Amino acid sequence: MLKEKIQRLIESAGGEKIILEHEAKGLLRELGLDVPRGVFIERGKKSAPAGETVFPAAVKTVSRLIKSKSGAQALRLGVRDENGLGQAIDELAGMEGALGVLVEEMVTGGIEAIAGGTMDAQFGPVVMFGLGGLFVEVFEDVAFALAPVNREGALWLVSQIKGHKILKGLRGMPPVDMDALAGAVVTVSEIIATGLVAEIDLNPVALFPDRAVVLDAKIFLP
Amino acid sequence: MKALEALFNPRSIAVFGAAHTEAKLGGTVMKNLLPMSRKASIFPINPKYGSIMGIKSLRSAAELPGRVDLAILMRPAPEVPGILRELANRASFAIIVSAGFAEAGEAGLQEEVKKAASQGGIRVVGPNCMGIFNTCSGLDTLILPPERLRRPACGNVAVTTQSGAVMSSVFESMVEGGIGTSITAHYGNAADIDESDVYEYLADDDQTSAVISYIESVRDGRRFLEKASALSLKKPLLVLKAGKGRAGQAAAFSHTGRLAGRYEVFRSVMRQFGLREAATFEELIDGAKALSYQRPKKGRSVFIITNGGGAGVLASDESARQGLQVNALPKDKLKKLKALFPPFYAIGNPLDLTAQVRDEDYQTVLNEIKDGYDGFVIIALSAVTGITEKLGGILSGFIKDAGKPAVFHTGRDAVGKQLALMAETAGIPCYPTPERCVRALGKLLE
Repeated sequence: MLKEKIQRLIESAGGEKIILEHEAKGLLRELGLDVPRGVFIERGKKSAPAGETVFPAAVKTVSRLIKSKSGAQALRLGVRDENGLGQAIDELAGMEGALGVLVEEMVTGGIEAIAGGTMDAQFGPVVMFGLGGLFVEVFEDVAFALAPVNREGALWLVSQIKGHKILKGLRGMPPVDMDALAGAVVTVSEIIATGLVAEIDLNPVALFPDRAVVLDAKIFLP
Repeated sequence: MKALEALFNPRSIAVFGAAHTEAKLGGTVMKNLLPMSRKASIFPINPKYGSIMGIKSLRSAAELPGRVDLAILMRPAPEVPGILRELANRASFAIIVSAGFAEAGEAGLQEEVKKAASQGGIRVVGPNCMGIFNTCSGLDTLILPPERLRRPACGNVAVTTQSGAVMSSVFESMVEGGIGTSITAHYGNAADIDESDVYEYLADDDQTSAVISYIESVRDGRRFLEKASALSLKKPLLVLKAGKGRAGQAAAFSHTGRLAGRYEVFRSVMRQFGLREAATFEELIDGAKALSYQRPKKGRSVFIITNGGGAGVLASDESARQGLQVNALPKDKLKKLKALFPPFYAIGNPLDLTAQVRDEDYQTVLNEIKDGYDGFVIIALSAVTGITEKLGGILSGFIKDAGKPAVFHTGRDAVGKQLALMAETAGIPCYPTPERCVRALGKLLE
């Protein structure tokens, strides 16, 4: 089942090495992960179909050339109305290599985490978990496990990072939704374990007390 | 019979490149093998001589009277595939000492070796290796003379290593530390046999009660984890992984591929499978010593007893770094011990008997707290007169009675040396610093 779904994505990529964000998210949604509501607008189209957009919205360039959207200024956050949306679409869809834009409901707050999978030269498919933002950029506080993992394995992996206490709720903060987080880690581990993709990155995943939302997703093909 | 039995305990050995003189590798190896000639048939192979070191020499593999358990190849690399083809179905194992294969950019030649060996039904150690040192069978294929590369005594620690240089350092440290080896295997380029195969053998080797392993990379990570886990169920395995730098490519943003430096993945999966790692060479050797004396036990709580405050604090700090728990004394024990000792003794954990210490104080304390902790760091700075050789007997009695992991640190004066000897005879390993004591104890507590 999973293999067939990934195979379909690979076919639609037509020999390209990167699965586009909205397609990767479509797969994750099908697999039961929490992904923001969104709509893909092809380059050349001016607006989203009526009623499909929830404001405030996040607007992102969909491109195979851009590695870091914030680095390339390829996203607009907190877009409040149709006017702002039109302007964002004009700017972002006009970028070099842009195939269109993805307009999504804005999800703010939460604790940012990164969940990913890669093919290790010695151990084959491995799954990774870490806290996002500064934690991963500065401290590189991440842990790995052989993929696939089950729910128990996912919870073990999450417990292996130094910052795991943050997830349990510090200074009166409620703990994050461990079930949803484990679900995301299990799914990532199952995708990399198919051997069909070279790397998958859910970065960031926003963790809340009652959900874990995949804000960005990349899948690289071998 | 175990798959590698004939490699570690061969009954017949052919030596390609055997030589007369120890000025050549082939002479050193012949000399090192001579003591084995009582148990095994040795066939030097060298067309230039009729006999080598008193043993009849053969001109080629064709003259071998039958199948041999082991062939040792010391001929130049380009000749090796040809020799293996001659040995097809006439040797069970080959140790290829010769260098000049994958490590020198000659991957093609190494592939040829693999092909010739597998077609001829020969399992290969090496190439580019020193081979096997088995203190039990007497097999010594190491190419360096014993007066230059000192061999550890017969003991219960097995060593597997990818690097010959590290093997020689391990040997030096084992000799200095009084640690004996059962079997040591240096497999170099690991064209065929690697640590995983050796783990499988060592799991059922009665002479081996602990295994230390130096690894740069593993070829098949999942097989390594499987064999290492199976071994660990039977006896402790301690791995030193070299190459801890980041292998990930430089990139402006974090993604899984960049974060997955080889060591990060290695460290994580070792934990996932509950396997022990040594952080440094020193920890590998100290751990080997601890595991050669004692069996690991479950638990993480340690008690530190000392007659010098600073040494106790250092041990306590290191315990915290190692994730060991230095739990406070239970209230009743605290009260009881305070009543027994002068007020200037610092009763707690660490417990400081101060320079006013008497040997019997150790006995009093250890008897009182032995059931409450999983492991013990015993420090006796022997520069004070209250510490005498009598303490050795007390420690010996304690370890027999408690049956739990314990390590010892003392001075290097005559009394200290005598105490160290008595402690190690009783099965308590000694270390030169309080911190090394704690790190070694950490290897004995799971």
